[in-house]
Amino acid sequence: MKFLLTTIIVTVFFGGIFAQQKTVTSVKKMAVIPGGMYEPFFITKANKPLRVASFKMDETAVTNAEFLEFIKQNPQWRRSKVNRLFADSNYLRHWQSDTVIGIAHKNIYNSPVVNVSWFAAQAYCKWVGKRLPTVAEWEFAGNGKPQNIKYKSLTDFILEWYRKPNPPILPNVKSTYKNQYNLYDMHGLVWEWTFNFNSFISKGDSRGSTEDEQKAFCAAGSLDVKDRSDYAGFLRFSYRGSLKGNYCIANLGFRCAKDLK
Amino acid sequence: MKKIIIGILFSASIVSCSQNNGSSAKDLQTSARETNDQNVKQPLPEESIFQLKDSFETQDAKPFTLAMLQGKPTVIGMIFTHCTYACPRLTADIQHIAKTLKEDKDKVNFVLVSFDAARDTAARLKEFADLMHLDKNWILLHGNEEAVRTLSVLLGVQFEKDANGDFSHSNLVSLLDKQGVFQYQKEGLEADHAETINRLKKLMAQK
Repeated sequence: MKFLLTTIIVTVFFGGIFAQQKTVTSVKKMAVIPGGMYEPFFITKANKPLRVASFKMDETAVTNAEFLEFIKQNPQWRRSKVNRLFADSNYLRHWQSDTVIGIAHKNIYNSPVVNVSWFAAQAYCKWVGKRLPTVAEWEFAGNGKPQNIKYKSLTDFILEWYRKPNPPILPNVKSTYKNQYNLYDMHGLVWEWTFNFNSFISKGDSRGSTEDEQKAFCAAGSLDVKDRSDYAGFLRFSYRGSLKGNYCIANLGFRCAKDLK
Repeated sequence: MKKIIIGILFSASIVSCSQNNGSSAKDLQTSARETNDQNVKQPLPEESIFQLKDSFETQDAKPFTLAMLQGKPTVIGMIFTHCTYACPRLTADIQHIAKTLKEDKDKVNFVLVSFDAARDTAARLKEFADLMHLDKNWILLHGNEEAVRTLSVLLGVQFEKDANGDFSHSNLVSLLDKQGVFQYQKEGLEADHAETINRLKKLMAQK
């Protein structure tokens, strides 16, 4: 009888430990980004500098290994099950199968997960009790000064990366540089999803006249960008503006953020 | 000793109970959804925007999920009521579509969803509906930021909140079929909606 009870107790005890293991492996180091003023990239009559409140951000992009954990626990997000509305046919195409990253891809376990849609990124962040960063938060954090590399200007550094073709095998996280907020690879590894990526109001191709623009957009269109020499920023905003929520792209990953509480 | 053991077992069972409770609450939600889904005639197609499970609130302060629109084609736009220029015009454009349909307008859902999670309360939406003389076929919705953002992503509507709490946004009128599958979209204010109306009539005739 006592033996039985002990067995039960031990089982319950260890069951508890194993149940907690999920949360242990999902804990990812986050950096605290002290708030400040963020000057929106596009200047309009209404676009004054925004106050970005202090927040926390994953120190690296979410990796394939981390995303695999999510996939195992959330079958509806598996490659074979996902709704096309929420992820296009490129979704996780670099994995061997639904729940196997693959021997051929051994080196990418610790690389940023890419080929993930906005919806999938949203769902992942929610699952770990976080959220996607806003554009303002991401840009504010991304402007942090590099700490451990030599560089002349951040813009030149970023443009140098943009110029390079995608490497056939994506390097691991923490392979580029760390910035003043202790965030790794904000530029230089992958592009990253943001919560409000669809906030970029593109003027469209065919709209020349100001009247058309006024008709097409509630507020006046952009008058100018804050810094004409920030070509890298311009590319980033254009890239975001060209995305759709279900797009899965080989150089687009994400990291999560959280309110500071 | 036995008491202690029983005590431990008991507390352990409370722990596991509370865990179970957590998951059974989720199960309940899912089954509630399923029951809801059973009430409607057909299962939603995969590409239906009604797959979005987020809950919104109507101008009458009633909870609302998009799946409740199933059965009629839907004309949907996104606005905010503090908008002085574009949004009343976008609303008027949809009103024009409704007018063209005459009595048949009862066979269509006209939906406006607000960008403004902070200011567009149910009461405020009700005021806007009255001001614009929107009839019972109109459903005005507000929801949390995430739900609104997700819908905007699904509809391809770009929007951004500025420092004043107002919004820059694209002006789009979208058309969904009876199952919530995206069919057509027209951009711009005071746009020519002949094609929208044409397609809407076809969608109304569908089973």
